[in-house]
Amino acid sequence: MRLVLVSAFILSVSISSFAQNKTIAAGEKLTFSASYNMSGLLNELAQVTMETSEVKTSKSTLLKLKCTAATYSKWDSFFKIRDLYESYVSPKTLTPYLYNRDINEGGHDKFMKYKFNHKTKTVSSIMRKTRSDGTVWEVKKTVKINASTRDLVTTLYHIRNLDIHKASVGDSQSFKVLFDNNESIVNIKYLSKETINTALGRKECYKLSISINNNDVLKGKNDNLLWLTADANKVPVYAKFKIAVGSGELKIKSATGLKH
Amino acid sequence: MKKLFIILGFITSIIAVILAVTPLSRIAYIPSVTALIFGVLALYTSKDKQQFKKSIQLIFLMTIISLVVTTYKTIFNTAEVGNTEQLEQKVEQLEKESLDELEDLEID
Repeated sequence: MRLVLVSAFILSVSISSFAQNKTIAAGEKLTFSASYNMSGLLNELAQVTMETSEVKTSKSTLLKLKCTAATYSKWDSFFKIRDLYESYVSPKTLTPYLYNRDINEGGHDKFMKYKFNHKTKTVSSIMRKTRSDGTVWEVKKTVKINASTRDLVTTLYHIRNLDIHKASVGDSQSFKVLFDNNESIVNIKYLSKETINTALGRKECYKLSISINNNDVLKGKNDNLLWLTADANKVPVYAKFKIAVGSGELKIKSATGLKH
Repeated sequence: MKKLFIILGFITSIIAVILAVTPLSRIAYIPSVTALIFGVLALYTSKDKQQFKKSIQLIFLMTIISLVVTTYKTIFNTAEVGNTEQLEQKVEQLEKESLDELEDLEID
């Protein structure tokens, strides 16, 4: 019995890794407001956007997934954040080809680029950091990956593309995510269906919990939650997270250009 | 006892005023409320009403200022994103770079 279950799980994972994209279309824009919890009072900290667009090369058409985070002006003189995460993926299967991460947090710059080669199952990565004296320091590396390894941005969109309506409460799935040249395993568990109030109206949502294996960035058990609308768009409307220095949440403000 | 309440009231009301003018204004509610409590306690524990009257008044004044500033900020200040010009430039520059690199990559 256990063997059957395990093989069914492996099969479902392998099928899902080649799943077709039914959820994400080009031209979609989601805007969120991130708040940080300070002694019980939520402070609006930054605006997070998730955008998709179509890009064309001479040979193919790709989907560009872009996530940005920018602190609100009142925080800029204290701790300015201007983050950019983007990924160029296949519009049909959401397979990543190129990933850029350019972060600027409180005066610290860091740049990461991954070029995926799915045939040789490697990623050539470039990391660039700016030292305090202004000199740039670059590290090039080739990282071995698994067949289903994705970058952070693609994983976020891939979660939206899962067939959650076919899953039952308690089901979980794991994904391999490449971050800072390390592969980590992210687990997603379907907790329940919940109806919550959002800026888009009252929505029935899938409540998912996120955890990372062998990594202590996210704290607590079932404290890192994600609510996706229980429709064909599976818009992330609300997220709660708990990290070492406190907790916070992300709330949707607007969503345009949805596929369904 | 009264002296202790006045000192605590002073400390919390000063913290409240300082927090009220920073972006952390929402947190100023906590020291404001504690300062109010200490102020009221200081009033009630005093037998001689005239003693320290000025300092208690000052505590209340500072607390009311910080409460007004904080409430004003929470109601009228909408969170707006500052200057993102640099970020937008970076986005454009990265897209150009990435398109060149995607040309070289093998895409099925």
